[in-house]
Amino acid sequence: MQGKTTLIIATLLVVAAVVYLIVTSTGNTARYFLTIDELRAMGDGATGRNITISGAVLGDTITYDPAVPRVTFTVVQVPADPEEVERAGGLAQVLHAAVTDPNAFRLEVVYAEVKPDLLQHEAQAIVRGQLGSDGRFYADQVLLKCPSRYEEQIPDQTSRRVIGPAEGS
Amino acid sequence: MLAEVGSILVGLAVATALYAGGAGFWAIHRSDSRWAKSGRNAATATVALLGVALTALLGAFLGDQFGIRYVAHHSSRDLPAHLKASAVWAGQEGSLLLWSFLQALFSALVVTRPSKRAHSPERAFHLVPWAGVVLNLLTAFFAAVTLLLSNPFARQVTIPPDGQGLNPLLRHPGMIFHPPAMYLGYVGLAVPFAFAIAALITRQVGDWPSVARRWTVVAWLFLGLGILLGARWAYDVLGWGGYWGWDPVENAGLMPWLTATALLHGIAMQEQRGGFRAWNIFLAALSFALVLFGTFTTRSGLILSVHAFVRSDLGPYFLAAIFLTLGASLALMISRRSVLVSPYPVQGLFSRDGMFVLTLVLLLSITASVFVGSLLPTLTQALSGRRFEADPAWFDRVTGPQFGALVLVMGVCPLLARMAGGLRRVRRRGLPALLGAVAAVAAAALAGFSRPVSLLGFALAGLAGGTALAEIGRVVARRGVGRGGRHSGRRYGGYLVHVGVILMAVGVIGTRGYPFETEVELSPGEPVDVGAYTLVYDELRQETAGDHLSTWAAISVYRDGDYLATLAPRMNRYPSFDQTFMVPALRTGLREDIYLVLFSSSVDRLVNVKVILNPLINFLWLGGLVFLAGGLLALWPSPARAVPEGVLRRQRWPVGTTVALAAGLLVLVVATVAMWQPGIGSLIGRAGRPLPGQPAPDFTLDLLDGSNLRLVDLRAQVVVLNFWTTWCPSCADELPELEALWSEYQAQGVFFVGIAVQEEKVEVREMGSEFGLTYPLGLDPEGRIATPYGITAVPETFVIDPQGQTAAVHVGPVDAAELRQDLDRLLGR
Repeated sequence: MQGKTTLIIATLLVVAAVVYLIVTSTGNTARYFLTIDELRAMGDGATGRNITISGAVLGDTITYDPAVPRVTFTVVQVPADPEEVERAGGLAQVLHAAVTDPNAFRLEVVYAEVKPDLLQHEAQAIVRGQLGSDGRFYADQVLLKCPSRYEEQIPDQTSRRVIGPAEGS
Repeated sequence: MLAEVGSILVGLAVATALYAGGAGFWAIHRSDSRWAKSGRNAATATVALLGVALTALLGAFLGDQFGIRYVAHHSSRDLPAHLKASAVWAGQEGSLLLWSFLQALFSALVVTRPSKRAHSPERAFHLVPWAGVVLNLLTAFFAAVTLLLSNPFARQVTIPPDGQGLNPLLRHPGMIFHPPAMYLGYVGLAVPFAFAIAALITRQVGDWPSVARRWTVVAWLFLGLGILLGARWAYDVLGWGGYWGWDPVENAGLMPWLTATALLHGIAMQEQRGGFRAWNIFLAALSFALVLFGTFTTRSGLILSVHAFVRSDLGPYFLAAIFLTLGASLALMISRRSVLVSPYPVQGLFSRDGMFVLTLVLLLSITASVFVGSLLPTLTQALSGRRFEADPAWFDRVTGPQFGALVLVMGVCPLLARMAGGLRRVRRRGLPALLGAVAAVAAAALAGFSRPVSLLGFALAGLAGGTALAEIGRVVARRGVGRGGRHSGRRYGGYLVHVGVILMAVGVIGTRGYPFETEVELSPGEPVDVGAYTLVYDELRQETAGDHLSTWAAISVYRDGDYLATLAPRMNRYPSFDQTFMVPALRTGLREDIYLVLFSSSVDRLVNVKVILNPLINFLWLGGLVFLAGGLLALWPSPARAVPEGVLRRQRWPVGTTVALAAGLLVLVVATVAMWQPGIGSLIGRAGRPLPGQPAPDFTLDLLDGSNLRLVDLRAQVVVLNFWTTWCPSCADELPELEALWSEYQAQGVFFVGIAVQEEKVEVREMGSEFGLTYPLGLDPEGRIATPYGITAVPETFVIDPQGQTAAVHVGPVDAAELRQDLDRLLGR
């Protein structure tokens, strides 16, 4: 066989294998990424599936039983679309608006794990897990805002007290 | 004052960098060396300006200038000086300033040291000025972004009395060195990009790799170091027991490293034979575009990540820069396509050329997979209207086989002849590879790692390892160590890097294939078995440390009954951040690490601990160090330069190279220290208590009445040893109960001994008569008995059976009912 031909065949095989892996993995292990509104809209169809949701944490609702261990907390609907977040004045504003809006959709999360360090009021949580038949969301993994950057843009009580009126940056 | 000076300096730097670019262009256009010299001076001035600006920011941090917002947000008065210094790059603004400075430094180094590195200086003559133009314009871009959009010197109206402090998670040696290493890598990749553009403009497509190779190796090495330090930081600090989570920000650093790896392989081939021209230009442009992409995505909201929450204003500018980078490169490539064709016909797959192509294809396919995974929510939204998200399992499943194929190619490629059709050589030279594979599988199976998929992985690693070691041996045998000819450092270095990558692969197979994690509840003194390990919780302590309150549990760890270490996982409470951070403690071993995380402690003296076993993880860190050493070796200067024949040239001692190598060694040492601390949270100077069932250490005790007592003499009796002191209230509390039990059990062959630790005879005698103690009391003035019993606090009580074996251990006050139970059990009731 010509040199070029074997190379092209090998490359095509690699590409085909990668496409196969991506497509099947997306079917098998990838998760729906939903807002709480969208999860509501799916109704019973969402029960038992692998789903990722994002929302704002309500600080008052956090309970923690270290002996089990188990954390429960409630998250509130925030829009997932970056454009929409931007229009509403940035993520900090969106999170703040969400937790103060009594009409926003809420979801109770049960996380049978050690309480994450960063689980706080108005934190953004990305939660991976399944919706239980009792309407609560059973989390396998909870991701909270990373403290390495941008922390100054989430107005928490500390920064307000120390800095005075927070400037947008 | 500092703030204004800093802003002005950065502003001037934008101007000088623009001037340096413009002057360089004019010099080429007019062929005027005076303009070139002026441009070089401006480039040097840019470095000086940004260097002073960076120093000013450092000064602002050290001087607690909280009027500057960036300082107030990332520092506080009580922060140690070295952490204040590292806080300079703890946020976006300072990072960009550091980036600009490094970019200026690299630009100046490229333009002011032309041709010294090139094998043929006259050829590099036209490349360097053009590369200088590109690099200086990039410097101007980064400095302008820093000044206009993300100025670290911005003031705030109200000056707070103290800053917010540095985030506790960032106070780790890995985090001090990780960001600069990453930025050195990112900035370094601008250099091959600039040379690729210069090569396209000047049509000197054949010459640029020899000029840009060292820069590429340096950038690739620092990027690798940065990724490794980040992984180690995650392992030591984040307390989830892992080191890589396929987070989009991690991926953003990995992707340019993968394409830079491809570029290095392409450059090696082009230097040898002249092929891979289009590949190398493309890879250089792609690597730099991915650097910009990583910077862009984390600030754009395009990627849903915990790191990438906030859209900052930088996004659109970086997006424009990416399109400019890729667009200009592609347009130039098309217009210069005639010089990009390979000078010799394409070889088949089963040749070394073919395998290099396959290597590049695989590295690109992995990059593409990571790219798709990072953007999966956005992509699936656009394609199907539903958002899907890729979790770590997705990445493992998609990239795992590709990495496996890459390791296979790594093992097979050196066996093939350079030109096509060389399968015969495989038979001749394939023995080490085969032996390596068999040895690796056998070793893994014997060690208990016997799942089929992982055995396949070990076989591939063994195959590639056997080949790499055999190739190193072959080079040594042929040429001798140290005088290996023109590219010996590169050859050794390259294969050493392969060995490092293979070791890392072993670590990945162990940790990904055999994860173990459990949660246990521990009460003082009671052994709990976790696999082959036994954990004994000794005590809980609390102390204030600077701005936080630290609670830690001392936990003795035994493996197969042998004492290993006493670990102290902590919970640090930071009131000013309203956060508690769990600081893991770990004991390192070649087979596995045992990793403890304390996640709750309570007044009823129970603690909850997460226990994680990470099999083979030290192969990962060891492989990382071998990889870095190999990379440094690849930078080793060729001892015998190609000198024109008949010309005798006295070799001067290469000062610059020596300095660079010393710096490289320093980097390696720093990496070793930061990456490989064998026992984080290990308490030194502790010995374990004898576990139940183990022999009680023998001793000779001086009794109060002047006689001696030896433990061996008490065989055939049940012995109760009570370690106590006269000043400890809970010791005094239990004395009456001990005396009561002694008088009850004495006649049944039970012997009680009180051992006063580090006490005076007078006081012990006084206390004994005060409580009317009738059982023998002795003195252990130097703690010679307490030490082998692993006493950490008094009181502690040991029950020893008639055979001299430890039967029960009670840390802290002993409950009379429990002690009675122990005794009844041993007396057979």
